[in-house]
Amino acid sequence: MYSTQSAENVGGIKNGMERTRWVFIGILVVVVLIIGVSLVVRAVTGGDTAGAELVLEKPKTITVRVLTALPVEPWVRSAAEAYNASNPTLDGVAVKVEIIPMDGLTALGRWDRNDFGALDAGANLENLTEAQKTALESFPTVWIPDSRYLVELANASYKERLGRDVFLTDGEYRARPIAISLFTWGIYESRATVLSSKFGDITWNVIHDAAVAKGGWPELGGDPAWGFFKLVVPNPNKNAGGLAAMVAAAGEYYGRTDISVADFTDPQFQAWLRELMGSVTDFSSASAYTAEDFALFGYSVGDGGQLLESDLLQNMQGILTRWDDPLKIYYPKYVTWFEFPYTIWVGPETSALEKNAALGFQRFLLSEAQQKAALAYGLRPTNPNVSLDATPESLFVKWKERGVETVVPRSDAMRSPDRETLLALLRWFQLNVAK
Amino acid sequence: MSNELSAKQRTGLIVGIVGIIVVCLCAIIALWAGKSVWDNVRGGDGGTGAAGWDATTAELTVAVSPGMAPTFAKLVEQFNAQAAKTPDGSLMLVRTLTVVPEKMVEQSLANPPFQAIAPDSSLWLNQLDRRWVAAQSEGEASLIPIGNRRFGDPVRYATSPVVIATWEGVARELGWPDRDIGWKDIQQKATADANFKWNHPSTGHASGLLATLAEFYAGAGLTRGLTEEAATAQTTLDYVRAVEATVRFYGEGEDVIVQRLAAEGQGFLDAFVAQEQVVIAWNQSQSGERLIALYPAEGTLWADHPLALLELGASGEAPLTDNQRRTYQALVTFLTSPDVQRQLLAAGYRPANLDIRLDETGSPFATAVAVDWRQPQTTLQIPSANVVEVVQNVWWYTKRPTNVYLVVDTSGSMEESGKIELTRVALRSFVEQMRGDRDQVGLITFASTVNVLRPIQPLDDAGRSSLNRAIDQLQAAGNTALIDSVWEAYSELTLRGDPEAINAIVVMTDGQENNSRHSLAELQRRIQQERGTSVVIFTIAFGNDADEKLLRSMAETGGGQFRRAKETDIEELYKIISTYF
Repeated sequence: MYSTQSAENVGGIKNGMERTRWVFIGILVVVVLIIGVSLVVRAVTGGDTAGAELVLEKPKTITVRVLTALPVEPWVRSAAEAYNASNPTLDGVAVKVEIIPMDGLTALGRWDRNDFGALDAGANLENLTEAQKTALESFPTVWIPDSRYLVELANASYKERLGRDVFLTDGEYRARPIAISLFTWGIYESRATVLSSKFGDITWNVIHDAAVAKGGWPELGGDPAWGFFKLVVPNPNKNAGGLAAMVAAAGEYYGRTDISVADFTDPQFQAWLRELMGSVTDFSSASAYTAEDFALFGYSVGDGGQLLESDLLQNMQGILTRWDDPLKIYYPKYVTWFEFPYTIWVGPETSALEKNAALGFQRFLLSEAQQKAALAYGLRPTNPNVSLDATPESLFVKWKERGVETVVPRSDAMRSPDRETLLALLRWFQLNVAK
Repeated sequence: MSNELSAKQRTGLIVGIVGIIVVCLCAIIALWAGKSVWDNVRGGDGGTGAAGWDATTAELTVAVSPGMAPTFAKLVEQFNAQAAKTPDGSLMLVRTLTVVPEKMVEQSLANPPFQAIAPDSSLWLNQLDRRWVAAQSEGEASLIPIGNRRFGDPVRYATSPVVIATWEGVARELGWPDRDIGWKDIQQKATADANFKWNHPSTGHASGLLATLAEFYAGAGLTRGLTEEAATAQTTLDYVRAVEATVRFYGEGEDVIVQRLAAEGQGFLDAFVAQEQVVIAWNQSQSGERLIALYPAEGTLWADHPLALLELGASGEAPLTDNQRRTYQALVTFLTSPDVQRQLLAAGYRPANLDIRLDETGSPFATAVAVDWRQPQTTLQIPSANVVEVVQNVWWYTKRPTNVYLVVDTSGSMEESGKIELTRVALRSFVEQMRGDRDQVGLITFASTVNVLRPIQPLDDAGRSSLNRAIDQLQAAGNTALIDSVWEAYSELTLRGDPEAINAIVVMTDGQENNSRHSLAELQRRIQQERGTSVVIFTIAFGNDADEKLLRSMAETGGGQFRRAKETDIEELYKIISTYF
């Protein structure tokens, strides 16, 4: 009995041990399966631990990608080449600056659509897929738009999306102007002489009167071969200067510097503006580089227009070389300034190292040497220690006889349009001119 | 006993564990393999692009408009000879593809066989822009309606204004150089003088589009501000129709016109619309009376030769690689370099580099009387892309009507290499391209005998489907009565006697004449003697066995063109020929 019981006990113990072993093996198998499957699943979805490494590992090179407005792009690119040649480093890591030319309005459109791929609010870098990480490798570190108002509009767009600003207006990473320029009249001298003798000073109203002259240049006292008066303004769909020109025209029409949506929707003003824009020969093929077009196609495409001073100065030599009539610069009463703010993206899409490297390039651009170099591109330095005639290469010295002035004559600065005004203007242009 | 059991159990357990681990490993390997398959299926982020090219490729294909293509190809050859490499050691290689600008726009919208485009004018970029934005914003409208473009910022590497090219004698008759000559002078001359022969390319080219726009402006009594309403007004259409009736023929572009001028001599045309560069190049290469560039007084248009990189990826195609972008940048730097810019100047283009003077020593502008670097004084206002499209579409209803017979070889040899099937496709494409409401097309086949399958008929819906049905039923068998078939088509067209239309025969064969009652000499005599309705004959040699000599003679007699075609391009050739009508 005992033996039987004992044997049964032994059997029970053995069975218990066997169960334990099987349970142990089962657990082992489950663990191996979980590890294997999770590895595969992470690989399939693209997730791995590289996100953490992205933050912890020191990169071989820090790349500062600078989205640069077209008027300052030649200068900034030249500065970047000089900066890269100096082999800059940050925390022992090599820094390289890359310039991406893009018109300010085009860039704003891309920010607005989030084409650059900013992360959603609350997104975790560690959970990014490989594709998302690759996309972030080309995310802009810095944006230099034409004007501060474009930064405000981009911020407004991201505030809706993320609930916070992505470009700061104060603190270490605040937007800082690196050079300035303003819109001036550039008119072929023969045409300007005719207009001045008939109407006096060149203003938007004078241009409007010339634009609506049914008999064209003969009616205005000019050469019949010139055809009709042809205005040059940038295409607002391709160049922030196009909007600036329309805002300046409105300022002069109303005699004030602050223009609202209501002003732009006034039918009388719209009719006036439509007549004015009707004298533009070709919006369709105008590139983002209007002053360059002006030089390339000369008086055949435009007798004159309101363009950025720096663009006109940069292309003055080309105009004189290519065409049989020099260009003259005149300053309007209502002026629009572009201040080219250097704006660092503060979101998690770029690393702290990249942000700090961007600050390094900003300091370089604001250095006295680079501010002096800007003079050769017709840009007005923001560094108050650099005068406009500081170098012999300064275009303000070179083209003095073409009408450029170091001190802007008494004028009223136009205020930047708000978001609604900007959108109203763009829509008006689409419906009334582009179509 | 218990120890033995225990040992067995232990062995069993070890075997079990090893087995289970092996199974697990197999499962993991299988899952990995599955992942690879999945990656391939979804176009994963491996070593190659989603489709089309390797992720590191530095090869770039550029679509170039036909007029610029020969010059561009030479420059690209120089670029490739540099054997420049990307930082990762890939060879930067550029290929070119000749594409008519209008087609370039069409192809750029989805999966194009090129990555960059070089049309003759920015007008085409604007059309691409408009169509791309329209296609993209079908779903949702963007708040800032700009920046969404199919291509990056274009670069111009050369320019040339569009001019009216005419022989010096004709120019002087018109009043050159004492007075400015305009579009109206040419239009008036053409309508008043039946012997005045002029031509402009189809609206698929910048110069053709400009000439057509000038007609619409004149017809609407405007010099700027052309609207859709003004362009489609009946009075405008009547005027344009009257002017277009004087155009001798349309065609591919100025490059082909120049070829024909060289082949047929001065009597071929009195004036034609082309880029200024064509005038310079002609005067440089040809002796005899020179061509003069007339800069239209009402204004002209610039062929501004933009080069732009397509931003691929949004239409499901493979996105550009970084190396392709590098190759593009290197090409732009190369094309705008002073040396290349001077080469372009020597070829008759105005260089985009503004440091180069047009009147510098050695420049073709320096001493030339035929061209004037100070011109043009003014340009014609280019309407919005919408109005331009309306003009392009409306032009089909105003252009000179066409009566054309498609004469097709259906002899036994056409059965080889699928030629008959390819011919069916090509003929259908031809019919599809003919869009004029007054165009009429007929179909004649020839083998041992000649068969008028479809007499000439209008291309309305019924006419089109009847013609397409006949094309679909083409069968190959028998001999080759080529000359008789052209004789028959010629008889049909002259019988109709429609002098206001372009009357044409497009004949294709893959073999040798061997079954006609008439001889070539008889046909030639007949064409030369009958001075009534003018019939243009285009001949196509399909494959290597066609009687090229006979076809050439036939085309020459008929004032048309002889072209060769292979199985790979027969459809394209029929499409090209359709642009002549």
